[in-house]
Amino acid sequence: MKRWLKEDLWRHAIAIVVCFFVLFPIYLVILSALSPTGSLQVTSFIPKTISFHNFSQLFTSPKIPYLVWMKNSLVIAGVVAILSVVIGAASAFAFSRLRFKGKKQGLQLLLLVQMFPAILSLSAVYVIMSRVYSFAPRIGLGTQPGLLLVYMGGAMGVNIWLLKGFVDSIPMELDEAAKVDGASAVQTYWLIFVPLAAPVLAVVSLLSFIGTFNEFILARLFLVDMHARTIAVGLQGFISGQYASNWGPFAAGSIIASIPLIAIFLSLQRYIISGLTAGSVKG
Amino acid sequence: METLFKRKVTVTLKYIVVTFVASLLLMLIMSSFAKREYAISIFLGFALFAMAITYLTNFSIPMKFFLPGMFFLIAFVVGPILYTVAMSAFHYETGNYISKPEAITQILSTGVRPDDNQTTFDIVIGEDASKNLEILASDPTNKKYFISTLTKKIDLDPATLKIDENGDVATAPGFHALTPSEQSALDAQLGKARFAYSSDYFLTIEGGTLGSLKRQTLVYDQATDTFRNVLTGTSYKDNGTGDFANVANKAEILQPGWRAPIWFANYTKLFTDPQIRKPLIRVFIWTVVFATLTVLTQFALGLLIALVMNRKLFGRRIYRSIIILPYAMPSIMSILIWGGMFDTEFGAINHLFGTHVHWFQSPLYARLAVIIVNLWLGFPYFYLICSGALQAIPAELSEAAAIDGASSGQIFRKITLPLLLQVVSPLLVASFAFNFNNFNIIYLLTGGGPSNTLGGDVAGSTDILISYTYKIAFGAGTQNLGLASAISVVIFFIIASISLYGIRRSKVLDSFA
Repeated sequence: MKRWLKEDLWRHAIAIVVCFFVLFPIYLVILSALSPTGSLQVTSFIPKTISFHNFSQLFTSPKIPYLVWMKNSLVIAGVVAILSVVIGAASAFAFSRLRFKGKKQGLQLLLLVQMFPAILSLSAVYVIMSRVYSFAPRIGLGTQPGLLLVYMGGAMGVNIWLLKGFVDSIPMELDEAAKVDGASAVQTYWLIFVPLAAPVLAVVSLLSFIGTFNEFILARLFLVDMHARTIAVGLQGFISGQYASNWGPFAAGSIIASIPLIAIFLSLQRYIISGLTAGSVKG
Repeated sequence: METLFKRKVTVTLKYIVVTFVASLLLMLIMSSFAKREYAISIFLGFALFAMAITYLTNFSIPMKFFLPGMFFLIAFVVGPILYTVAMSAFHYETGNYISKPEAITQILSTGVRPDDNQTTFDIVIGEDASKNLEILASDPTNKKYFISTLTKKIDLDPATLKIDENGDVATAPGFHALTPSEQSALDAQLGKARFAYSSDYFLTIEGGTLGSLKRQTLVYDQATDTFRNVLTGTSYKDNGTGDFANVANKAEILQPGWRAPIWFANYTKLFTDPQIRKPLIRVFIWTVVFATLTVLTQFALGLLIALVMNRKLFGRRIYRSIIILPYAMPSIMSILIWGGMFDTEFGAINHLFGTHVHWFQSPLYARLAVIIVNLWLGFPYFYLICSGALQAIPAELSEAAAIDGASSGQIFRKITLPLLLQVVSPLLVASFAFNFNNFNIIYLLTGGGPSNTLGGDVAGSTDILISYTYKIAFGAGTQNLGLASAISVVIFFIIASISLYGIRRSKVLDSFA
């Protein structure tokens, strides 16, 4: 018993210090979300009064379309997650299973294209979408469908790479058996591969969902209208610009917005980690 | 029987989807063609053609899988990249955004001067019988009246006119005054209209009731492609980089310029123009330092925690769940919260340590803050990676070493770390490449600052290449898209070589064949 304590004490000490480092900002967010003054000013680390005013403000104040932002984010991220994986999976399948000329070059090109800093082609995307706006105002600059299309393009490279890694790990025997039975590549894809890869596709689409939910720069450039904004852009507006450092609602809104992501993450930890080692990198 | 039915259903479904997408594309092609966006029409036309060939014939099986993904990649990734590369070959900045014909038109319309007496006439805007725009002008002091069209001036005899008490005329034979609503419909045209007066002078409308006498001072000669100032005699020649410059004094240019192809001048400027080169080198060094420090600190802390918890530990699951929180939270919000915590007056950090540090005003502290925040954001990732990798290292190896008398330090250095690095090094390289371009943390935490804005510095102390380039392209002052695009292309080559090196090492490419 004593030896156990001695052996493990320093481990606990380090773990606790690191946990403190991790939890400190999170604790502060909760603190300012519950503070009636709604600031990130710290007078004491223990709250004296607790108020849910910041939370109720999000849902009642006509100036803060919080639910609309949340809906926008969920819809945009959801559509991108599903569509980009449906489309990306087909390409990944072809890269992984089909034999054709220029496969190696295709993969290298895909890799190369991904290395171009996306933010730097921002102005080009902006110009292109403003031209699209001139003839199709519904899918051009400043619209959610337009943003969605741009996200789809951005998600493609990452998803194809990530999915190819997964597809490679699915045993070949089944689709070879299907081929022997006379199935075409398209049939193999729909009847054998998609049902087999369904869990993998779900995980990749969740990763894509998280990525899109977190996206900020394009969303801010595209969505000017208050009611068209995503949650990230909307919340950032609280502490810069017209609301001038409104930390209370920002903190409350961040907490609520984080809950779905954290829930997804904690429940899918294992799969997400295997996805990470397959090549995706975040912060 | 049933399978045959199923097959029919799927084939029908395929045709429905193909027809639907095709008609959508066709609609877009037609409307883009109508708005003269030919490049877009051609691209969409190709897409339509490719779709028809691919899905209605068996021309290429792989294409059936690639086409939708390719469409999005080309439209929103490859297209913009090529556009950026093209922009880098142009003189494309504030003052040089438009095309040359547009620039000439603008110079002509601004290159006018009122006459020396600043003469004005009282005018009525109207049109003649065949609806040509004209003005009826009155000069009460000299009792002179005339109608002026866009091409000629017709003097009127005062005797035939009805002159009011101010000495003005409101109507004349053959002249139809426009109502205010008719005028506002012609607003754009009226603002630009030049009514004939004499060979040198013309009239423009000021505020709807006054016509002021002006003359063209800058005249354009198409044959020699030069502007000449008729008053001073100065000529301005196309200087080859998108501006009309004074022949005698090259620094004096006419505004606006146009986006002219200057090929590699933006690239050579990066290395030769000291005003660009100096901040660029400074920013580049910090970018490398930032990315290196970030990866090292994140990896070190992640590995430490992974080692600490690499055994059965009471409460390990709880620790683990807490430690991955930064990774799970939306990073934008975490960065903004940290930004608030580093506030000098009210921030929690100064409060916690009882200090009064101006975090974002001093270059050193601002850089420290960026590294700390990035450590918080990123170490859970390396913790997850390292703990996975540690578990994959067979325990026999370290046990055998222990039996041979190796100390735990030796086991770590000689066995665990090398094996771990083999797994993790491609991810370290990838993380370096990611942080090299980690725009969000810089932009949202410090905005690149602090910077000496009084000294005219665009680059701040925490600016990394990508945020610096963003400032050049979209910043508050002059925006230089050409230069920013050139830097983007350079960044691309840096990142590509780093990543290719990482991929070579991880041997991902070996499995391509």
